[in-house]
Amino acid sequence: MISFEQVTKRYGERLALDSVSWEMDEAECVVALGHSGSGKTTLLRLITHETQPTTGSVMVGTFQSGRLRRSHRALLRRTLGIIYEDFRLLNDRTVFENVALAVRIAGRFADEEVIPRVMYALEEVGLQLKQGAFPAELSAGEKQRAAIARAIVNRPAVILADEPTGALERKSTDEILTLLRRIHSEGAALLLVTTRHEVAEALPARVLHLEDGRLTGISPPGSVLTSPESLVTGTQETSPAAAPGPGREGA
Amino acid sequence: MHLFYLREASRSFRHHRGLAYTAILSLTAALTLSGVFLLLTHNAEHALATIGDRREMVVYLRDDVTPSQRDVLIGRLNDLYGTAAYVTKEQAWKEFQQQIGDPELLESVDDNPLPASLRVRLKPELLNHEAMAVAANQVSQFPEVEDVRYGAEWVQRLDQVREGLLRGTLAVGIVVALAIMFVIYNTIRLTVLARRLQVEIMSRLGATDGFIASPFVVEAVFEALLSAVAALAVLFALQQAMSAKVFSMAFFPASWALAFVAVTVALAWLAATLALSRVLRAVGP
Repeated sequence: MISFEQVTKRYGERLALDSVSWEMDEAECVVALGHSGSGKTTLLRLITHETQPTTGSVMVGTFQSGRLRRSHRALLRRTLGIIYEDFRLLNDRTVFENVALAVRIAGRFADEEVIPRVMYALEEVGLQLKQGAFPAELSAGEKQRAAIARAIVNRPAVILADEPTGALERKSTDEILTLLRRIHSEGAALLLVTTRHEVAEALPARVLHLEDGRLTGISPPGSVLTSPESLVTGTQETSPAAAPGPGREGA
Repeated sequence: MHLFYLREASRSFRHHRGLAYTAILSLTAALTLSGVFLLLTHNAEHALATIGDRREMVVYLRDDVTPSQRDVLIGRLNDLYGTAAYVTKEQAWKEFQQQIGDPELLESVDDNPLPASLRVRLKPELLNHEAMAVAANQVSQFPEVEDVRYGAEWVQRLDQVREGLLRGTLAVGIVVALAIMFVIYNTIRLTVLARRLQVEIMSRLGATDGFIASPFVVEAVFEALLSAVAALAVLFALQQAMSAKVFSMAFFPASWALAFVAVTVALAWLAATLALSRVLRAVGP
């Protein structure tokens, strides 16, 4: 579903990723763990085609890195659900409108399908009673739940989460992680990047350990280890993937 | 989906009212300026057409032309140049007397010196200086013809005035078209930059350029439509005031007014599309 092959990314003189190779299967859960500047966000930006590898290749479904036409790039992004640390909600729209925007962008649903889809997504994240609220009226945890509703409303095959609990306190972090676990168990592949070990531990995820742009190891699910000898280095066999859920977008 | 674009355009308009009103005012001013010129051109064209219709060629006949030769000539002129009417020597003298109006001066002339003539109302395609010169030259070759007059200098001046008006209208039209495109281009660019976050988010969610651009294009077209209608209203008020206080003026025919609005909207669409194709590449991640 997603594969990196000998991917190096430089921003001028700075090396963001150094010869990184890994793969992710359908419905798998992967966490990229590393300190700030270790290359986690670059990983996501390469997947969403916001940037291109300096060398190596990135495959996302049938889309390969390189110069994609803008319309194809948009199509690729529509197969993904993306969650950001800073939520990226539109402040002049209600929660309902923010989520509905993703449905409109998908362009696959008739007008009469928009409301039930949005309401279903809001129920999944427990925000149905806040549908008319503007982002400024929500707590940080609620904002992230609204962002998650927007990411899952089109039932994408892969959810990318860029430090989704980075701006949240403990209780909200637990709620968001529970929610992400549930979404993953329903069949969506989940790729989450984080600096926090406890976040990686809370998910049934294979963990990619990143350090200064290098992939220093991969831990199997349920064993987030940090000592180098415990880590399996290089490209690994992927963990058993859960069966893909019905109606998911193929990436 | 179209309703969605309209709602988005209306939302953008409300959020950037200042920018939108500035654009509408600038466009209305530019369109009114061009409209004044169009109004003058329309009225001048109308006046020139009325004068031009009176243009005729006078073919003076030789004194020895027989009635049958004259009739043959009339037939040929009718076929080739327009409608020829015969003016006898006596009719010509009467007209001359009416024009001069001074009996003493007329008495000093012993005999009627004026020749008989044919007045030819030319076909519309011959109502310009070049065609009239060619026609006059050709007619002068007929053996029955003494001389041909068509007011060469006057006709030439009339044609020059008409050409000048046309050139002026074209020049003002081009300047105003560029002004419309400049105003819309920059308004849309500023609007997109002001909504940069929205564009970025939509792009990250997988929106196509067309999806992101459509509400902005709708907004530009709406602003242009509003400006064109406002300019027409101002022009109508001006025309009414001029007609009442200075001299009689005609307003545009409905087809001109519709074309005025349609061209403005088309230019706005073009400028907005151009602006968006550039700015979305710069703004979108």
